[in-house]
Amino acid sequence: MSLPDFLKSLDDLMDEARKSLESVDSGDALEALRVKFVGAKSGVLKTVQKMMGVIDVSDKPSAGKRFNEVRDAIQLAIDQAAEKLGGGGSSSKSGPMIDPTLPGVRPSLGQLHPITQTIEHLKEIMSRLGFSVTEGPEIEDTWHNFVALNIPEDHPARDPLDNFYLATAKKQVGGNPADRDAMLLRSQTSTVQIRVMEKQSLPLRIISLGRVYRPDAPDATHFPMFHQMEGLWVDKHVTMAQLKSVLRLFATSYLGSDVRVRFRPSFFPFTEPSVEVDYWWNGQWIEFGGAGMVDPNVFGHLNIDPEQWSGFAFGLGVERLCMRRFGITDIRDLYRSDVRFLRQFAS
Amino acid sequence: MLVSWEWLSDYVQLTVDHEEMATRWALTGLNHESTEMVAGVPVIDLEITSNRGDCLGHIGVAREASVLLSQKLTIPNPVLQESTTTTASMLTIENQFREGCPRYIGRVIRGVKIGPSPEWLGKRLEAIGVKSINNVVDATNYVMFECGQPLHAFDMSKIRGNKIVIRPATAKENFVAIDHKTYELDPTMVVIADESRAVALAGVMGGVDSEVGNDTVDVLLEAAEFAPLCIRRTARKLKLHSPSSYRYERRVDSAQLDWASRRCAELILKLAGGELLEGAVDTGMVETAPLSVTLRAARISKVLGIDVPWSISLDILQRLGCQVQSGSSESEAVVSPPTYRMDLVREIDLIEEIARIYGYDKIPEDAVVPMVASARRPKDIMMQTVRNVCCGCGYHETMTPSLVGKSPALAVSPWSELEPMSTLVPLLEGASLLRRSLIPSLLASRLHNQQQSNRDVRLFETSNVYLASVSGKPVEQLNLGLLGACDIREVSGTFEEVLERVCGREFASQKVTMQTVAWPYLEANSGIEWLIDGERIAWVGQIGRPIADSMKLDAMVAVGELNLDLLLRFARTVPQLKSIIPFPVVDRDLNLIVDEQLSWQVLSTAIKESAGPFCIGVAFKEIYRDTKKDGEGKKRVLLSLQLQSETETLTSKQADDAIQNVLSTCKERFNASILL
Repeated sequence: MSLPDFLKSLDDLMDEARKSLESVDSGDALEALRVKFVGAKSGVLKTVQKMMGVIDVSDKPSAGKRFNEVRDAIQLAIDQAAEKLGGGGSSSKSGPMIDPTLPGVRPSLGQLHPITQTIEHLKEIMSRLGFSVTEGPEIEDTWHNFVALNIPEDHPARDPLDNFYLATAKKQVGGNPADRDAMLLRSQTSTVQIRVMEKQSLPLRIISLGRVYRPDAPDATHFPMFHQMEGLWVDKHVTMAQLKSVLRLFATSYLGSDVRVRFRPSFFPFTEPSVEVDYWWNGQWIEFGGAGMVDPNVFGHLNIDPEQWSGFAFGLGVERLCMRRFGITDIRDLYRSDVRFLRQFAS
Repeated sequence: MLVSWEWLSDYVQLTVDHEEMATRWALTGLNHESTEMVAGVPVIDLEITSNRGDCLGHIGVAREASVLLSQKLTIPNPVLQESTTTTASMLTIENQFREGCPRYIGRVIRGVKIGPSPEWLGKRLEAIGVKSINNVVDATNYVMFECGQPLHAFDMSKIRGNKIVIRPATAKENFVAIDHKTYELDPTMVVIADESRAVALAGVMGGVDSEVGNDTVDVLLEAAEFAPLCIRRTARKLKLHSPSSYRYERRVDSAQLDWASRRCAELILKLAGGELLEGAVDTGMVETAPLSVTLRAARISKVLGIDVPWSISLDILQRLGCQVQSGSSESEAVVSPPTYRMDLVREIDLIEEIARIYGYDKIPEDAVVPMVASARRPKDIMMQTVRNVCCGCGYHETMTPSLVGKSPALAVSPWSELEPMSTLVPLLEGASLLRRSLIPSLLASRLHNQQQSNRDVRLFETSNVYLASVSGKPVEQLNLGLLGACDIREVSGTFEEVLERVCGREFASQKVTMQTVAWPYLEANSGIEWLIDGERIAWVGQIGRPIADSMKLDAMVAVGELNLDLLLRFARTVPQLKSIIPFPVVDRDLNLIVDEQLSWQVLSTAIKESAGPFCIGVAFKEIYRDTKKDGEGKKRVLLSLQLQSETETLTSKQADDAIQNVLSTCKERFNASILL
C-alpha cells in the first residue's frame, strides 16, 4: 500500500468516527461505537494499524505519526461524547454502589520519636527566647567534663564507678580520673558551656541538647543514657532575677498556661548560687532541673573576668519532660524500638 | 541525714511544728526527703548536699533552724573532771603521715565500766537508726551524730607500747577489721598503728583486736581529722562505707576536734565512770591564717537582681556564725566565716548564703529579658528535612543506646577499620563497645519487634557513631541509619530523596557516584556505596545470611547508612526557583539490549550526553532478561527520555534526531541492540 492510500483511509476513518459520534444518544450506542473504532481485538483502528506493515520503510515514520494523531483524535471524540451524555446517568446504572464508610487508601507514614519531638519543642521555645542551639562532643576529656566545671580531682563525681571512662591501650591509665588524657562519655551537657565559652565571643545565649551517660541500673525511671538540655546566658548584667524570669517564660510556653517558679538552694560545683527549680502546675510543685549563676571559678578557667561578665546556666532532663508530656511511665520503653510504642506518637 | 525532732530541741527552741520546719529547711537548702514517727517522735530525713558537712550532725541542723526561727542556738559546754596524771605520761602519738591526717587528739579514760546505755541514749540512737552497742561505743556515736565529728574508742590495754603511730599502710599490708574480714591495704591508705601493728584503718573501720568490749577497762579516745580524698579512696576500694567515712569524705572541722573529744569524754565519764587523764595528746592544728572575705553591697544586687537591705545581709551572715569585722561601711564589709563552714571562702559564697536565708521567693520572675535574634542552624534545617523524608517514606524513628555488645557489632563496621572504643564499665549488660555503625542497633531493634510479632518494621535513627582514629582523638560522626524490608532499592530510594531535598536535584545527580562493595557482612552482590569526590557518603546492602541466621531474623533485611556530617557540607538551605518552561516535554521510550556489566550510571550518562541539549532527563523504567532471545550475559533496559526546549515546542524531527544520536552512541559504545 502506498503512503497516500494509507493516509486517505485514515482520513476517511476519522470522518466516519466524527459523524457517528456526533449523533450518538445513548450509553449503549456509544459503547458499540467504542468497540467498533478502538476495540482492542478487532476495532477498525487495529485493522488500519496492521496495514502499516506493508508500507515502505522510508514512509513508516510519516505513516506512524499520522496514525497516532488519528488514534488520539478518535479517542478524544469518544471521551467527549461520553461526557456529553452526562457522566451521572450511564455510570450510575452500570457501576457498583459506593460505600461511603469504606476506609480510604492510606499511605504508610512513619513518625518522630517522642524524645525528638520533645527536643524540637524545647529548641523552638528557647529560640524564641533568643537562645541559639549549639552542641559539643559526647566523648569528653576530664578537663571539659570536670576541671573547667570546677569539679576538683577529689570530687566524688569523678569516681571511675560513677562515669563511663573509655578503656585505652594502656590499661592502667584508662579511667584514672587523675589522668589528664583520660576520656569519658560526658556525664552532663554542661561541658558544652565550656566549649562554647572557649570558642565564641561574649555575650552569648545558647542551649545545647544531647545524650549524656551515667552508670545507673535501668529501671522504670532510670536509664544509663539520657538527654539533657543545657542553657547558658553570659552578658554584662545577667542576674538571678533574669534566670527565674527566663525559666518562667520557658515553663509558661512549654506547659501552656501561666506557671509559677520556685527556687530551692542546692549545690553544683559550676554554679554559685545554685538552685533546684520547681514549677507550680496543676496544683503541685514539679521538679524541673538545676540552675544557678556561673561560678566565678568557671569563668576563671576560661580567662573571663567575673567582675565584668556574669551569667546563668540551667540544665534539665529531657526524658522526664517527655515522659510527663506523653504519659510514658517506663523510661526503658523509649529505647526499645517497639513499633507498637513508636507508632503512638504520630502527630 | 536523719534528725530527731526531740534531740534537736536540746539546742534550739523549735517554735514551729516539724512540718513547717521541714518546708523551711527545704526552701533554704536542706531538702526534705521524708518524715517518720518513731516512738512518737518525728524523725526527719534531710538531704545534705556535699558542700554542707556542717549539717551532718544535729547541732548543724539546729543552727539552720535557729537562723530561720531567729532563736538562740545553745551548744553544750563540756565540763570535765580530770585526774592529776597527764595523758602525755601514758600515751605518745607519732604522726608520720600529715597529708593523710592533719590532726589527731588522744584522750585516755581509765577504769570504765562497760555496760548498756541508759534508755534516753539508746532511744535517741535507735530513732535515727543506730544500734545501741555499749555505753562507750554509744557515746562516740552519739557525739558524732550530735556534731558531725566521728570518734573512735580503743581498748587501751590492746595498744602496745602505749603508742599511736599514724602512717601510710605498707603495700599489701593485711588488716583484720571489726567485721572479722581481712583487707589488703596499700600506701595511699592511712592506718592507726601501735608499736607493732595496725589497730585501725583510719576513718573507715577499727581493728578486731583493739575494739572496746565487755572486759575493757581503759579507753583511748580518738578524735582526728583525716584527708577526705584518702578516706574516700579507701572506702571505695575496700567497699567499706560508714557514717564515719561519709563525714570524713566531706571534711571535718579541725577546730571542733577538741570540743568533740571533750564532749565524748564527758559522756563516757557520765555513762561508764572512770578517771579522765589530764589534758590530751594533740598532734596540733595546722595553722592557717583566718579567712577574711570582702563583701560588696553592690555585688549582691548585681548577682541576685534585687536589693537586699545591707543591714539584713550582714545580720544573716552573723546569725550563720560569720564575724563581720569592725570598720565595715555601708557598701563593703570584711567577713570571717566560721570554721565549720568550709564552703564559705569567697564573696559569691556569702551572697548565696544571703540569698537563701533572705529567701529566693523575693527574687522576681518578671525581670526584663532583652530580645536577641536567634536563627536556625543549617544543621537543624537539614535534620528536619532528613527526618521528614524518612517519616514520609514510612520509617519509624527510633533511638537506641550508643553502646553495643560484640555481636554483630564487631563484624559490621563500614566506617572504620580500627577496633571500636570501649568503656571500662558497660552501659547495659554486655554493652561496652562504642558503636561504629547504627546498623547493629537497628538489627537488634528489628529482632525485638520480631519477637513481639510486630510486622512491617521499618526504622530509622539519626545518631552519632564513634570512630577511633590513629591519632587517638575519637571522631563522632552523625549518621542516618535505615532498616527496611528486603529490597535495597527502597532504602537507596529514601537516601536519594534525602539527598535531593537537602542538596538539590542537580547536586544529587551530578556529584554522586555509585559502586558496588563486597563487604563480608552483606549478602553477595547487594552492597553499594555512594561517593562524593571519592568520599563515601552512604552505603546500602542486604545483611548477610550468616548474621541474619545467627540473630534468627525471620527475613532478609535491607539496611543503609548515610553520613549526615558530610551531607551538611553540601546542604543548600533554600531551594532556588528555576523558571518553568512553557513548552511541552516530549517523552520517548527506549528498550535496549546491553551487556549485563553495563551500569545504569554509565549508560544514562552516555544517553544524556548524546541526546544533546534538549534532553532534560533519562528515567529508569525496568530491567528484565530474555536469555532465550538475547543470550547469556545480556539484559534489557527499559528507559524513557524527556526532551524539551526552553525556547520552542520541539518538532518530531528534533526529537527523532536526538533519539537517533542516542541510539547510535549506545550501539557504538555499548554494542547495544534496540528493541522497537
